[in-house]
Amino acid sequence: MLGDPRLASLLNNPAIWRGSSAARTSTVPTGFPRLDAQLPGQGWPQVGVVEILIPHLAIGELYLVLPALAFLSRQPQARWCAWMAPPEGPFSEKGLRPFHACGPLELFAPALTAHGVSLSRVLVVRAEAPLWACEQALRSGACDVVLAWVRRAPARSVRRLQLATERGRTLAFLFRTLSAQTLREPSRAAVRLALQPASGGVRLKLLKCRGGSRGDLLITFSQDLR
Amino acid sequence: MSVRPSRKLAELVAPERPSLHLIPQRPLAQPRSRAHELWIGAHLPQLALEALTGPAHALSGPLAIVEQQGRASHIVAANEQAAHSGVRAGMSVATALALLPHLTVKPRDVHRERALLERLALCAQRFTPRVSLERPDGLLLEVKGSLHLFDGAAKLGASFLAACGACGARPRLALAPTPCAALAAARFGKPFEVMDAARLTGALAPLPLAVLRWSPEALERLARIGVRTIGEALRLPRAGFARRFGREMLGALDRLLGRSPDLRTSFRAPERFRVRRGFLYEVEGHDALLAALAPLIEDLAHFLQARQCGITELECRLGHRHAPVTPCILRLAAPAAHSHRLQTLLAERLMVLPWPEPVRSCELRSGRLVPLPLDTNELWQPGEHGGGGSQAASTDLIECLRARLGVESVHALEIHATHRPEDASRAQLAIGTQPATSADRLAGIAADSAADGAPPWLAYRRPLWLLARPQLLPQVDGLPQWRGPLRLLGEPERIETGWWENNEIARDYYHAIDSSGARVWVFRERVKPHRWFLHGMFG
Repeated sequence: MLGDPRLASLLNNPAIWRGSSAARTSTVPTGFPRLDAQLPGQGWPQVGVVEILIPHLAIGELYLVLPALAFLSRQPQARWCAWMAPPEGPFSEKGLRPFHACGPLELFAPALTAHGVSLSRVLVVRAEAPLWACEQALRSGACDVVLAWVRRAPARSVRRLQLATERGRTLAFLFRTLSAQTLREPSRAAVRLALQPASGGVRLKLLKCRGGSRGDLLITFSQDLR
Repeated sequence: MSVRPSRKLAELVAPERPSLHLIPQRPLAQPRSRAHELWIGAHLPQLALEALTGPAHALSGPLAIVEQQGRASHIVAANEQAAHSGVRAGMSVATALALLPHLTVKPRDVHRERALLERLALCAQRFTPRVSLERPDGLLLEVKGSLHLFDGAAKLGASFLAACGACGARPRLALAPTPCAALAAARFGKPFEVMDAARLTGALAPLPLAVLRWSPEALERLARIGVRTIGEALRLPRAGFARRFGREMLGALDRLLGRSPDLRTSFRAPERFRVRRGFLYEVEGHDALLAALAPLIEDLAHFLQARQCGITELECRLGHRHAPVTPCILRLAAPAAHSHRLQTLLAERLMVLPWPEPVRSCELRSGRLVPLPLDTNELWQPGEHGGGGSQAASTDLIECLRARLGVESVHALEIHATHRPEDASRAQLAIGTQPATSADRLAGIAADSAADGAPPWLAYRRPLWLLARPQLLPQVDGLPQWRGPLRLLGEPERIETGWWENNEIARDYYHAIDSSGARVWVFRERVKPHRWFLHGMFG
């Protein structure tokens, strides 16, 4: 339909303002061509909150964001890549609740390097109140990207984080529990998606995307990550 | 102001009479040159002792200070009783103990020596504003302008010696028109007082060259050609001397005689900021306290701005009606001078500090001032057109998080080259804030990429999360269970290492998927009873 010359000339009229043009901001390639095609601007927004709902840890949610982290950390003027309040233990079935028997989870540096993330840009923050630390990091302007695991995030606090990203020009990945309630609640995040495990990758459901469209995708990881 | 030599100082410094007859007198026909400057050189031969014990070292038993150099340790100073038995500086500790078995030996403390020297410099500033430190064991005072205030060099010297004695130090003094000559003569130890520049050469002539502290090789070469005193060195032809020993040593001789200028940096006492404020009412609550502290922090910021300095330590002491003072110490990674930043950090620190009673007074004490590096702002905002975050933003963030969460909660990561997964990743508390120059940044990235390929085990897939302690898994029919049966994927990776550190592991690691699709890293012990453990989670 877009190929129609009459429609193209009509759309060139400056009086017509289209929804997708709102998203013409700088982006970070996700590393997955199918996801790039779905997101406006061919990638994660460089500024804003990306809310990722997961049923539990380690279904491939980090593999989804690692290519972007590697890309950002290798920029010549890279800022910090901050990991806020990494989860305290393997999540139990009920959601993001720590599994106390086995102590805290620690970020494993060799794996990060193997995925191409420059370790000199990685900052780990352990915080009881991740939202406060997260907001500080986002608005400081010292971070390129902030990853945070939050158990409870009221809609108001997600909005605060979104405003903080705009102030510090930062990208935030917010990992939250996927449940019927979180799926229902409104969110001010720029991108919101839900993940489900799938063989060889993840099934991604784009719930909200500023300037883009919703959709279902199957993301497959490269052979050595499966 | 007197130009004629006064013997009083010399008599006071040492009771024995100076050997002035060695100094050749100039014929009267020559006009006497008036010195523009007069320097008192103070040399502290027993500084290492005095710094540790104060003046009491003479009263205690035999005592020697030793310094470790490489594997050997030797004596750097010995008190009178030890010296009486033949213990000398430069001796090895074994020799000294052989001479004097009940010798007390203490290690040298360079920091205390430096502190004592600075204290003496502070005392010396009573007599003249131009005091310079001659590390490690000397002081120089320019006293030309102060002589008439203290009624001559002798009384000034006596007062200075008394002031030093109160600090626990007994320096040896010498007076000369050039700083180098004063210091060299003080090191020589014999009374030396020359106020007339024309007489300086003659007075210095009998002094041994060792007082100039030239390198031992140079002194030995000079000794081999029969040159042992300053006078003999001065008689050598200048061109030849410069060619053989270098221009620097010739320059040293010129400065010694005042032929070339010798500029000294004046010692400035370290400044600190301290202000106390009592409240007319009792302050409760953080916000009220912060509002009350704000003007004090403003004052501090103005104080720092005027000196172009910053502080790395700030103590805020809260006084109460009955309870003891609550101290709150703020330590910063980088020097801070802006009131806003100090206020934010202090607010974070006070937020987590409980205080027993309402606050009646508060006091701010700064640590030592440190020069503030000049900063430039980036043209681009962070994040746009490749503009990076400024150094300041990065430091601010780390300090802000650490003030609230504690120092250990904020860290960087580093790889430790070992096969044992538990040790391969380490928290690095010393966070390098971002490299400043683009060359550094590129070098850092290049080093990272080099590290990527280097350790061979990086080729194996590792989980992104590692459990601090491996978690024991129940097993059914020899297979691990975690939230239901685990499905093992692929071939095991065997890690067997660490036997040389009493920390041996022998494990077969598997990738596994649990029933809900989580990817985990499990291992089976190779030794009986072959238990299964969960050790990591893939992202």
